[in-house]
Amino acid sequence: MSDEHDIHSDPCAGNAAPYVLGALTEEEHTAFRRHLQSCAVCREEVASLQSVAATLPAVAPAASAPAELRERIMSTVRAEAREPELARRPGAARERRRPARSGWFALAGAAAAIAAVIVAISLGSGGSGTRVIQAQVLAPSASAQVALTGNRAELRIAGMPQTQPGRVYEVWVKRGGAPQPTNALFTVTSAGNATVGVPGSVAGVQEVLVSSEPAGGSSSPTRPPVIVARLG
Amino acid sequence: MIRAPGSRVTIPRMFNPLRSSGGDRSADRLRALADEELMQLVYRSNADAFEVLYDRHADAAFSLALRICRQRAMAEDVVQEAFLSLWRSRARYDRNRGSVRTWVLGVVHNRAIDAIRRRTVRDRGVVHDESAHERVAAPEFTDVEVARREEAREVREALDGLPEEQSRVIELAYFGGLTHVQIASMLDTPVGTVKGRMRLGLSKMRMTLGNPAEVLP
Repeated sequence: MSDEHDIHSDPCAGNAAPYVLGALTEEEHTAFRRHLQSCAVCREEVASLQSVAATLPAVAPAASAPAELRERIMSTVRAEAREPELARRPGAARERRRPARSGWFALAGAAAAIAAVIVAISLGSGGSGTRVIQAQVLAPSASAQVALTGNRAELRIAGMPQTQPGRVYEVWVKRGGAPQPTNALFTVTSAGNATVGVPGSVAGVQEVLVSSEPAGGSSSPTRPPVIVARLG
Repeated sequence: MIRAPGSRVTIPRMFNPLRSSGGDRSADRLRALADEELMQLVYRSNADAFEVLYDRHADAAFSLALRICRQRAMAEDVVQEAFLSLWRSRARYDRNRGSVRTWVLGVVHNRAIDAIRRRTVRDRGVVHDESAHERVAAPEFTDVEVARREEAREVREALDGLPEEQSRVIELAYFGGLTHVQIASMLDTPVGTVKGRMRLGLSKMRMTLGNPAEVLP
Protein backbone atom coordinates (compact mmCIF):
# COMPACT_ATOMS: atom_id res chain seq x y z
CA MET A 1 0.00 0.00 0.00
CA SER A 2 1.23 3.47 -0.77
CA ASP A 3 2.21 5.87 1.94
CA GLU A 4 -0.22 8.74 2.42
CA HIS A 5 2.42 11.26 1.33
CA ASP A 6 2.62 9.69 -2.15
CA ILE A 7 -0.52 11.62 -2.96
CA HIS A 8 1.35 14.86 -3.17
CA SER A 9 3.28 13.64 -6.20
CA ASP A 10 0.09 12.60 -8.02
CA PRO A 11 -2.48 15.34 -8.36
CA CYS A 12 -5.07 12.91 -9.71
CA ALA A 13 -4.95 10.59 -6.73
CA GLY A 14 -5.71 13.20 -4.14
CA ASN A 15 -9.31 13.96 -4.98
CA ALA A 16 -10.95 10.58 -5.48
CA ALA A 17 -11.42 9.86 -1.75
CA PRO A 18 -12.81 13.27 -0.76
CA TYR A 19 -14.97 13.12 -3.89
CA VAL A 20 -16.71 9.87 -2.90
CA LEU A 21 -17.11 11.14 0.68
CA GLY A 22 -18.72 14.37 -0.54
CA ALA A 23 -15.85 16.38 0.96
CA LEU A 24 -14.73 18.44 -2.02
CA THR A 25 -15.77 22.06 -2.20
CA GLU A 26 -18.38 22.86 -4.83
CA GLU A 27 -15.78 24.23 -7.25
CA GLU A 28 -13.46 21.27 -6.71
CA HIS A 29 -16.34 18.86 -7.17
CA THR A 30 -17.27 20.39 -10.52
CA ALA A 31 -13.67 20.45 -11.69
CA PHE A 32 -13.05 16.86 -10.60
CA ARG A 33 -16.14 15.60 -12.40
CA ARG A 34 -14.81 17.24 -15.53
CA HIS A 35 -11.40 15.66 -14.88
CA LEU A 36 -12.99 12.22 -14.56
CA GLN A 37 -14.17 12.36 -18.14
CA SER A 38 -10.59 12.26 -19.36
CA CYS A 39 -8.78 10.29 -16.64
CA ALA A 40 -9.32 6.53 -16.61
CA VAL A 41 -7.07 6.12 -13.55
CA CYS A 42 -9.23 8.40 -11.45
CA ARG A 43 -12.42 6.82 -12.76
CA GLU A 44 -11.17 3.44 -11.63
CA GLU A 45 -10.15 4.72 -8.22
CA VAL A 46 -13.49 6.47 -7.73
CA ALA A 47 -15.36 3.27 -8.62
CA SER A 48 -13.25 1.31 -6.16
CA LEU A 49 -13.62 3.78 -3.28
CA GLN A 50 -17.26 4.52 -4.01
CA SER A 51 -18.17 0.93 -3.29
CA VAL A 52 -16.74 1.41 0.20
CA ALA A 53 -18.39 4.79 0.77
CA ALA A 54 -21.69 3.18 -0.20
CA THR A 55 -21.43 0.90 2.84
CA LEU A 56 -21.11 3.77 5.33
CA PRO A 57 -24.89 4.40 5.75
CA ALA A 58 -25.03 0.99 7.44
CA VAL A 59 -23.33 2.39 10.54
CA ALA A 60 -25.93 5.12 11.13
CA PRO A 61 -28.04 4.25 14.21
CA ALA A 62 -31.31 2.68 13.12
CA ALA A 63 -34.32 5.01 13.15
CA SER A 64 -37.86 4.60 11.81
CA ALA A 65 -39.17 7.03 9.20
CA PRO A 66 -42.38 8.66 10.53
CA ALA A 67 -45.67 7.47 9.04
CA GLU A 68 -46.72 11.07 8.23
CA LEU A 69 -43.63 11.44 6.07
CA ARG A 70 -44.74 8.46 3.99
CA GLU A 71 -48.17 10.02 3.54
CA ARG A 72 -46.70 13.37 2.46
CA ILE A 73 -44.36 11.83 -0.07
CA MET A 74 -46.81 9.33 -1.52
CA SER A 75 -49.67 11.83 -1.86
CA THR A 76 -47.40 14.02 -3.99
CA VAL A 77 -46.13 11.04 -5.98
CA ARG A 78 -49.67 9.80 -6.66
CA ALA A 79 -50.82 13.27 -7.72
CA GLU A 80 -47.89 13.61 -10.10
CA ALA A 81 -48.36 10.09 -11.45
CA ARG A 82 -51.82 11.16 -12.59
CA GLU A 83 -50.59 14.21 -14.48
CA PRO A 84 -49.47 12.29 -17.59
CA GLU A 85 -52.92 10.60 -17.68
CA LEU A 86 -54.47 14.05 -17.70
CA ALA A 87 -52.24 15.26 -20.50
CA ARG A 88 -53.06 12.21 -22.60
CA ARG A 89 -56.80 12.79 -22.57
CA PRO A 90 -58.21 13.46 -26.07
CA GLY A 91 -59.86 16.69 -24.99
CA ALA A 92 -56.56 17.98 -23.73
CA ALA A 93 -54.81 17.19 -26.99
CA ARG A 94 -57.52 18.89 -29.02
CA GLU A 95 -57.44 22.01 -26.91
CA ARG A 96 -53.67 22.18 -27.05
CA ARG A 97 -53.69 22.35 -30.84
CA ARG A 98 -55.77 25.53 -30.90
CA PRO A 99 -53.26 28.29 -31.56
CA ALA A 100 -55.50 31.07 -30.33
CA ARG A 101 -55.60 29.61 -26.87
CA SER A 102 -52.85 29.51 -24.33
CA GLY A 103 -51.43 26.24 -22.97
CA TRP A 104 -53.32 26.92 -19.80
CA PHE A 105 -56.65 26.60 -21.58
CA ALA A 106 -55.64 23.26 -22.93
CA LEU A 107 -54.68 22.05 -19.51
CA ALA A 108 -57.65 23.61 -17.83
CA GLY A 109 -59.82 21.93 -20.41
CA ALA A 110 -58.31 18.59 -19.49
CA ALA A 111 -59.13 19.12 -15.86
CA ALA A 112 -62.61 20.19 -16.77
CA ALA A 113 -63.00 17.00 -18.76
CA ILE A 114 -62.32 15.02 -15.64
CA ALA A 115 -64.66 17.25 -13.72
CA ALA A 116 -67.40 16.55 -16.24
CA VAL A 117 -66.96 12.82 -15.90
CA ILE A 118 -66.54 12.39 -12.21
CA VAL A 119 -67.72 15.45 -10.49
CA ALA A 120 -70.87 16.87 -9.97
CA ILE A 121 -71.51 20.06 -8.25
CA SER A 122 -73.12 19.16 -5.02
CA LEU A 123 -74.96 21.80 -3.23
CA GLY A 124 -75.40 21.68 0.44
CA SER A 125 -75.93 23.91 3.34
CA GLY A 126 -72.88 25.25 5.08
CA GLY A 127 -74.84 27.39 7.49
CA SER A 128 -77.32 30.15 7.13
CA GLY A 129 -77.04 31.74 3.69
CA THR A 130 -73.98 29.67 2.76
CA ARG A 131 -73.88 27.38 -0.23
CA VAL A 132 -71.17 24.70 -0.34
CA ILE A 133 -69.90 23.54 -3.70
CA GLN A 134 -67.83 20.41 -4.06
CA ALA A 135 -64.77 21.00 -6.26
CA GLN A 136 -62.90 18.56 -8.45
CA VAL A 137 -59.38 17.83 -7.21
CA LEU A 138 -56.67 16.02 -9.11
CA ALA A 139 -54.94 14.51 -6.07
CA PRO A 140 -56.87 11.31 -5.32
CA SER A 141 -56.71 11.60 -1.55
CA ALA A 142 -57.57 15.32 -1.45
CA SER A 143 -60.86 17.17 -1.34
CA ALA A 144 -61.91 20.80 -1.75
CA GLN A 145 -65.06 22.81 -1.31
CA VAL A 146 -66.03 26.36 -2.03
CA ALA A 147 -68.27 27.98 0.57
CA LEU A 148 -70.31 30.80 -1.00
CA THR A 149 -71.83 33.44 1.20
CA GLY A 150 -73.39 36.18 -0.86
CA ASN A 151 -70.67 37.30 -3.26
CA ARG A 152 -67.87 36.04 -1.06
CA ALA A 153 -66.19 32.66 -1.51
CA GLU A 154 -63.87 30.63 0.63
CA LEU A 155 -61.87 27.58 -0.45
CA ARG A 156 -61.60 24.75 2.09
CA ILE A 157 -58.98 22.21 1.16
CA ALA A 158 -57.98 18.93 2.81
CA GLY A 159 -55.38 16.30 2.05
CA MET A 160 -53.60 18.22 -0.70
CA PRO A 161 -49.96 17.33 -1.53
CA GLN A 162 -47.31 19.77 -0.40
CA THR A 163 -46.09 22.10 -3.11
CA GLN A 164 -42.61 21.45 -4.43
CA PRO A 165 -39.83 23.63 -3.02
CA GLY A 166 -40.02 27.14 -4.47
CA ARG A 167 -43.66 26.78 -5.49
CA VAL A 168 -47.02 27.87 -4.07
CA TYR A 169 -50.64 27.28 -4.89
CA GLU A 170 -52.35 30.19 -6.63
CA VAL A 171 -56.10 30.87 -6.82
CA TRP A 172 -57.61 31.96 -10.18
CA VAL A 173 -61.09 33.10 -11.09
CA LYS A 174 -62.69 32.64 -14.48
CA ARG A 175 -65.52 34.80 -15.78
CA GLY A 176 -65.86 33.36 -19.26
CA GLY A 177 -62.52 34.56 -20.62
CA ALA A 178 -59.03 33.71 -19.51
CA PRO A 179 -58.50 32.86 -15.86
CA GLN A 180 -57.62 35.96 -13.88
CA PRO A 181 -54.90 35.82 -11.25
CA THR A 182 -55.68 36.68 -7.65
CA ASN A 183 -53.30 37.58 -4.88
CA ALA A 184 -54.33 34.46 -2.96
CA LEU A 185 -51.13 32.42 -2.81
CA PHE A 186 -50.90 29.64 -0.27
CA THR A 187 -49.26 26.45 0.91
CA VAL A 188 -50.92 23.70 2.90
CA THR A 189 -50.33 22.38 6.41
CA SER A 190 -48.41 19.17 6.98
CA ALA A 191 -51.79 17.42 6.86
CA GLY A 192 -52.50 19.06 3.49
CA ASN A 193 -55.17 21.43 4.77
CA ALA A 194 -55.82 25.08 3.97
CA THR A 195 -58.65 27.60 4.16
CA VAL A 196 -58.28 30.43 1.69
CA GLY A 197 -60.53 33.38 0.98
CA VAL A 198 -61.10 34.17 -2.69
CA PRO A 199 -60.26 37.88 -2.95
CA GLY A 200 -62.99 40.27 -4.04
CA SER A 201 -66.50 39.56 -5.17
CA VAL A 202 -67.23 36.35 -7.04
CA ALA A 203 -70.26 37.85 -8.81
CA GLY A 204 -70.16 36.57 -12.40
CA VAL A 205 -67.38 34.07 -11.65
CA GLN A 206 -67.97 30.75 -13.34
CA GLU A 207 -65.02 28.82 -11.97
CA VAL A 208 -62.53 29.09 -9.16
CA LEU A 209 -59.28 27.29 -9.96
CA VAL A 210 -56.03 26.51 -8.19
CA SER A 211 -52.70 25.68 -9.79
CA SER A 212 -49.14 25.20 -8.60
CA GLU A 213 -47.00 28.21 -9.54
CA PRO A 214 -43.51 29.54 -8.80
CA ALA A 215 -43.19 31.36 -5.46
CA GLY A 216 -44.60 34.85 -5.85
CA GLY A 217 -47.31 33.66 -8.20
CA SER A 218 -47.80 34.02 -11.95
CA SER A 219 -49.78 36.47 -14.04
CA SER A 220 -50.94 33.60 -16.24
CA PRO A 221 -51.02 29.95 -15.25
CA THR A 222 -47.98 27.83 -16.02
CA ARG A 223 -49.39 24.49 -14.89
CA PRO A 224 -52.71 22.71 -15.19
CA PRO A 225 -55.23 23.37 -12.43
CA VAL A 226 -55.21 20.97 -9.52
CA ILE A 227 -58.59 22.20 -8.24
CA VAL A 228 -61.57 23.21 -10.34
CA ALA A 229 -64.74 24.50 -8.69
CA ARG A 230 -67.66 25.45 -10.92
CA LEU A 231 -69.78 28.08 -9.31
CA GLY A 232 -72.50 28.03 -11.93
CA MET B 1 -24.12 -12.28 0.14
CA ILE B 2 -27.10 -10.13 1.04
CA ARG B 3 -29.90 -9.74 -1.39
CA ALA B 4 -32.84 -7.41 -1.46
CA PRO B 5 -36.24 -8.98 -0.89
CA GLY B 6 -37.31 -10.99 -3.86
CA SER B 7 -34.13 -10.28 -5.77
CA ARG B 8 -34.31 -13.68 -7.45
CA VAL B 9 -37.93 -13.26 -8.42
CA THR B 10 -38.66 -12.62 -12.06
CA ILE B 11 -41.68 -10.77 -13.39
CA PRO B 12 -44.36 -13.18 -14.61
CA ARG B 13 -44.68 -12.71 -18.34
CA MET B 14 -48.33 -11.74 -18.33
CA PHE B 15 -48.30 -9.74 -15.11
CA ASN B 16 -49.20 -6.14 -15.46
CA PRO B 17 -49.78 -4.52 -12.04
CA LEU B 18 -51.49 -1.58 -13.67
CA ARG B 19 -54.22 -3.84 -14.96
CA SER B 20 -54.36 -6.26 -12.07
CA SER B 21 -57.68 -6.32 -10.28
CA GLY B 22 -57.47 -7.31 -6.58
CA GLY B 23 -55.56 -4.52 -4.82
CA ASP B 24 -54.06 -6.81 -2.18
CA ARG B 25 -52.93 -9.35 -4.75
CA SER B 26 -51.38 -6.62 -6.83
CA ALA B 27 -49.58 -5.19 -3.81
CA ASP B 28 -48.30 -8.64 -2.84
CA ARG B 29 -46.97 -9.18 -6.33
CA LEU B 30 -45.22 -5.84 -6.31
CA ARG B 31 -43.65 -6.61 -2.94
CA ALA B 32 -42.25 -9.85 -4.38
CA LEU B 33 -40.34 -7.99 -7.09
CA ALA B 34 -36.68 -7.03 -6.81
CA ASP B 35 -35.79 -3.35 -6.66
CA GLU B 36 -34.52 -3.24 -10.22
CA GLU B 37 -37.73 -4.82 -11.48
CA LEU B 38 -39.78 -2.29 -9.55
CA MET B 39 -37.75 0.48 -11.15
CA GLN B 40 -38.96 -0.66 -14.56
CA LEU B 41 -42.50 0.00 -13.36
CA VAL B 42 -41.56 3.26 -11.64
CA TYR B 43 -40.06 4.38 -14.94
CA ARG B 44 -43.59 4.13 -16.34
CA SER B 45 -44.92 6.35 -13.51
CA ASN B 46 -46.26 3.48 -11.42
CA ALA B 47 -46.78 5.05 -7.97
CA ASP B 48 -47.59 1.68 -6.35
CA ALA B 49 -44.18 0.34 -7.33
CA PHE B 50 -42.53 3.48 -5.99
CA GLU B 51 -44.38 3.00 -2.71
CA VAL B 52 -42.88 -0.48 -2.33
CA LEU B 53 -39.41 0.96 -2.92
CA TYR B 54 -40.14 3.68 -0.38
CA ASP B 55 -41.19 1.13 2.23
CA ARG B 56 -38.03 -0.88 1.65
CA HIS B 57 -35.57 1.97 1.95
CA ALA B 58 -37.25 4.75 3.94
CA ASP B 59 -35.90 3.67 7.33
CA ALA B 60 -32.33 3.44 6.05
CA ALA B 61 -32.76 6.82 4.35
CA PHE B 62 -34.17 8.42 7.48
CA SER B 63 -31.47 6.86 9.68
CA LEU B 64 -28.76 8.29 7.45
CA ALA B 65 -30.41 11.71 7.22
CA LEU B 66 -30.89 11.86 10.99
CA ARG B 67 -27.29 10.80 11.64
CA ILE B 68 -26.08 13.66 9.43
CA CYS B 69 -28.64 16.37 10.28
CA ARG B 70 -29.10 15.42 13.96
CA GLN B 71 -32.53 17.08 13.86
CA ARG B 72 -35.69 15.15 13.08
CA ALA B 73 -37.47 17.96 11.23
CA MET B 74 -34.49 18.59 8.98
CA ALA B 75 -34.01 14.86 8.42
CA GLU B 76 -37.67 14.53 7.39
CA ASP B 77 -37.30 17.40 4.93
CA VAL B 78 -34.18 15.80 3.49
CA VAL B 79 -35.86 12.42 3.02
CA GLN B 80 -38.92 14.06 1.46
CA GLU B 81 -36.80 16.09 -0.96
CA ALA B 82 -34.69 13.06 -1.78
CA PHE B 83 -37.55 10.66 -2.54
CA LEU B 84 -39.46 13.25 -4.59
CA SER B 85 -36.26 13.98 -6.48
CA LEU B 86 -35.82 10.23 -7.09
CA TRP B 87 -39.39 9.98 -8.33
CA ARG B 88 -38.98 12.95 -10.67
CA SER B 89 -35.63 11.74 -12.01
CA ARG B 90 -36.71 8.09 -12.30
CA ALA B 91 -35.79 8.02 -15.97
CA ARG B 92 -32.16 8.67 -15.06
CA TYR B 93 -31.70 5.54 -12.93
CA ASP B 94 -29.02 3.31 -14.43
CA ARG B 95 -28.76 -0.14 -12.85
CA ASN B 96 -25.22 -0.50 -14.20
CA ARG B 97 -24.10 2.24 -11.84
CA GLY B 98 -25.26 0.54 -8.66
CA SER B 99 -28.18 -0.86 -6.74
CA VAL B 100 -31.37 1.08 -6.14
CA ARG B 101 -30.50 1.22 -2.44
CA THR B 102 -27.11 2.76 -3.20
CA TRP B 103 -28.82 5.27 -5.50
CA VAL B 104 -31.39 6.19 -2.86
CA LEU B 105 -28.86 6.56 -0.06
CA GLY B 106 -26.49 8.49 -2.31
CA VAL B 107 -29.18 11.06 -3.03
CA VAL B 108 -30.13 11.25 0.66
CA HIS B 109 -26.48 11.77 1.58
CA ASN B 110 -26.03 14.58 -0.92
CA ARG B 111 -29.24 16.32 0.19
CA ALA B 112 -28.36 15.97 3.86
CA ILE B 113 -24.89 17.40 3.33
CA ASP B 114 -26.37 20.31 1.38
CA ALA B 115 -28.86 20.91 4.19
CA ILE B 116 -26.31 21.06 6.98
CA ARG B 117 -23.97 23.21 4.92
CA ARG B 118 -26.81 25.70 4.58
CA ARG B 119 -27.20 25.73 8.32
CA THR B 120 -25.57 28.86 9.69
CA VAL B 121 -22.43 28.68 11.75
CA ARG B 122 -24.41 30.07 14.68
CA ASP B 123 -27.02 27.34 14.40
CA ARG B 124 -24.41 24.62 14.26
CA GLY B 125 -23.26 25.40 17.74
CA VAL B 126 -26.65 24.94 19.34
CA VAL B 127 -27.97 21.90 17.53
CA HIS B 128 -29.54 19.50 19.98
CA ASP B 129 -28.58 16.05 18.78
CA GLU B 130 -31.94 14.35 18.36
CA SER B 131 -30.35 11.33 16.72
CA ALA B 132 -28.76 10.39 20.03
CA HIS B 133 -32.20 9.54 21.43
CA GLU B 134 -33.27 7.61 18.39
CA ARG B 135 -33.24 3.91 18.95
CA VAL B 136 -35.91 1.86 17.33
CA ALA B 137 -37.41 -1.27 18.75
CA ALA B 138 -35.94 -4.40 17.23
CA PRO B 139 -37.89 -5.16 14.07
CA GLU B 140 -38.83 -8.64 13.01
CA PHE B 141 -35.85 -10.81 12.40
CA THR B 142 -36.40 -11.44 8.75
CA ASP B 143 -33.53 -12.83 6.70
CA VAL B 144 -33.00 -9.44 5.16
CA GLU B 145 -32.96 -7.70 8.53
CA VAL B 146 -30.48 -10.19 9.95
CA ALA B 147 -28.27 -9.73 6.90
CA ARG B 148 -28.45 -5.94 7.16
CA ARG B 149 -27.44 -6.06 10.82
CA GLU B 150 -24.54 -8.30 9.99
CA GLU B 151 -23.53 -5.89 7.24
CA ALA B 152 -23.74 -2.96 9.66
CA ARG B 153 -21.59 -4.84 12.17
CA GLU B 154 -18.96 -5.61 9.54
CA VAL B 155 -18.83 -2.03 8.30
CA ARG B 156 -18.67 -0.66 11.84
CA GLU B 157 -15.79 -3.03 12.66
CA ALA B 158 -13.97 -2.08 9.47
CA LEU B 159 -14.33 1.61 10.32
CA ASP B 160 -13.36 1.14 13.97
CA GLY B 161 -10.41 -0.98 12.91
CA LEU B 162 -8.79 1.96 11.13
CA PRO B 163 -6.17 4.14 12.80
CA GLU B 164 -8.07 6.86 14.65
CA GLU B 165 -6.80 9.66 12.39
CA GLN B 166 -8.21 7.86 9.34
CA SER B 167 -11.62 6.92 10.74
CA ARG B 168 -11.99 10.45 12.09
CA VAL B 169 -11.53 12.20 8.75
CA ILE B 170 -13.92 9.74 7.08
CA GLU B 171 -16.63 10.33 9.71
CA LEU B 172 -16.14 14.10 9.71
CA ALA B 173 -16.51 14.14 5.94
CA TYR B 174 -19.28 11.60 5.37
CA PHE B 175 -21.44 12.17 8.44
CA GLY B 176 -20.29 15.65 9.43
CA GLY B 177 -20.58 17.21 6.00
CA LEU B 178 -17.24 18.96 6.32
CA THR B 179 -15.02 19.60 3.32
CA HIS B 180 -11.44 18.39 3.38
CA VAL B 181 -10.38 22.03 3.73
CA GLN B 182 -12.54 22.49 6.83
CA ILE B 183 -11.26 19.23 8.31
CA ALA B 184 -7.67 20.27 7.66
CA SER B 185 -8.32 23.55 9.43
CA MET B 186 -10.09 21.88 12.34
CA LEU B 187 -7.31 19.35 12.86
CA ASP B 188 -4.55 21.83 12.02
CA THR B 189 -3.26 19.37 9.45
CA PRO B 190 -2.18 19.94 5.82
CA VAL B 191 -4.95 19.46 3.24
CA GLY B 192 -2.91 16.84 1.40
CA THR B 193 -2.54 14.79 4.56
CA VAL B 194 -6.29 14.86 5.17
CA LYS B 195 -6.95 13.66 1.63
CA GLY B 196 -4.34 10.95 2.07
CA ARG B 197 -5.91 9.71 5.28
CA MET B 198 -9.28 9.51 3.59
CA ARG B 199 -7.85 7.50 0.75
CA LEU B 200 -5.88 5.15 2.98
CA GLY B 201 -8.82 4.63 5.30
CA LEU B 202 -11.25 3.79 2.51
CA SER B 203 -8.71 1.50 0.85
CA LYS B 204 -8.16 -0.42 4.10
CA MET B 205 -11.91 -0.73 4.63
CA ARG B 206 -12.20 -2.12 1.15
CA MET B 207 -9.64 -4.80 1.92
CA THR B 208 -11.38 -5.64 5.21
CA LEU B 209 -14.82 -5.88 3.62
CA GLY B 210 -13.64 -7.84 0.60
CA ASN B 211 -15.63 -6.70 -2.37
CA PRO B 212 -18.28 -4.38 -0.92
CA ALA B 213 -20.31 -4.65 -4.10
CA GLU B 214 -21.04 -8.22 -3.01
CA VAL B 215 -21.96 -7.14 0.49
CA LEU B 216 -24.46 -4.51 -0.50
CA PRO B 217 -27.92 -5.53 -1.64
